Amino acid sequence: MSAAGSSNPEYVVARVRARRGSLFGDEEYRKLTRMGPAEIARFMEESSYGAEINALGSRHGGVDLIEYALNRNLAEQFDAILDWSEGSLYDLIARYLRKFDAWNVKTVIRGVYTDADQSAVEVDLIRAGEFDDRRIRRLLEADSVDGVIEVLEDTIYGEPLREAYAEFEETDVLVPLENAVDRAFYERLLSGLGGDEPTRQYEAFLKAEVDFRNATNALRLARSGADIDPAAYFIEGGDLFTRSSLARLAQNLDELVEYIGDSQYGDELGPALRELEEADSLIAFEHAIDAALLAYGDRLGTIHPVSVTPVISYILAKERETENIRAIARGKEAGLSPDEIESELVIT
Amino acid sequence: MFEATNELGNLVLSTGGTLNNPAAAAALAVGLAALGAGYAERGIGSAAVGAMAEDDDLFVNGLILTVLPETIVILALVVVFLFL
Repeated sequence: MSAAGSSNPEYVVARVRARRGSLFGDEEYRKLTRMGPAEIARFMEESSYGAEINALGSRHGGVDLIEYALNRNLAEQFDAILDWSEGSLYDLIARYLRKFDAWNVKTVIRGVYTDADQSAVEVDLIRAGEFDDRRIRRLLEADSVDGVIEVLEDTIYGEPLREAYAEFEETDVLVPLENAVDRAFYERLLSGLGGDEPTRQYEAFLKAEVDFRNATNALRLARSGADIDPAAYFIEGGDLFTRSSLARLAQNLDELVEYIGDSQYGDELGPALRELEEADSLIAFEHAIDAALLAYGDRLGTIHPVSVTPVISYILAKERETENIRAIARGKEAGLSPDEIESELVIT
Repeated sequence: MFEATNELGNLVLSTGGTLNNPAAAAALAVGLAALGAGYAERGIGSAAVGAMAEDDDLFVNGLILTVLPETIVILALVVVFLFL
């Protein structure tokens, strides 16, 4: 609702826990991997995605229908959580959900850059963040990158985007703009968090996420061997890396793997790291990172049952569910076998 | 909330020293118990309403859990009958 007044974690946590119970489990995923796109859509119609499938069913079909229904359901669920929560709880949840604002800004900028159709951009937006419908509409109507920045002038993204715009005009690549958006989001994410115990746990979790993001980026850079400055992709706020240590480690894959293995995340990521050394598969490692984060969130949610952490743990699980269903639908469309699709899923 | 009860306790101790009037002591016992029950029910009640909003079948469970702290007020009433 708003950030004023006292917070109401009891109410929000009770609702969120009830919803968490209706997320898909192993059994449902196994069924889904054996279905075609149309059957998946029908299966979803009978689950918590029913309203969205029905609303979009007349306009879209096949895998697109599933994809848009997932996006819309995600947005509605997270909007509802923001709607219920009050006080400091709202602030803590909104911090995390602003990543969808960042996603939307990046999508719109990319759409403008590639001259994409307005409706094509619109279906890719996830309206789960803090931006209201009016701002989203104005974003969609903007016909130049400059116009997009103008709409965002009074948000946290306005100033960093304005600064990055000069560089964008010079080079005509989107990287500086997208980095500006990401950095604005992450700076806001960790600044001025309160001091009680659940909030500290939440902060530790956010830091872990930043660390994992940095680790994935560094691994990708180290693997690709591309001549890109790793420091430009560094995200502030984590415990594991500093700007200079990331730049150094991204040069050497073995050293990087060893460094992550020796860190506080070594226990969780150990098996994935060994796999990375043996099979050379970055995808498996990224899945392991996702699974580790999810497990971390789960554990967090049980330590302080009446605080922000169970809500965040639900948000993560829900996001993971939509990504899994999307992977299944896309995999089916591409003609992968059920076993191959199952290896793409992240289930804890 | 907790600060308030602390202060109440301090006030009682500093003004009277000891409570000599049994009726007043019993009244205080019931009042404080009711205050505690109310505070407990605040959290449980909002959680119960949240759960009911998701699933109507939880109404009975929610109701029972919400009024459970009320028992402490009933126990406090026993004190009243013991002293009067």
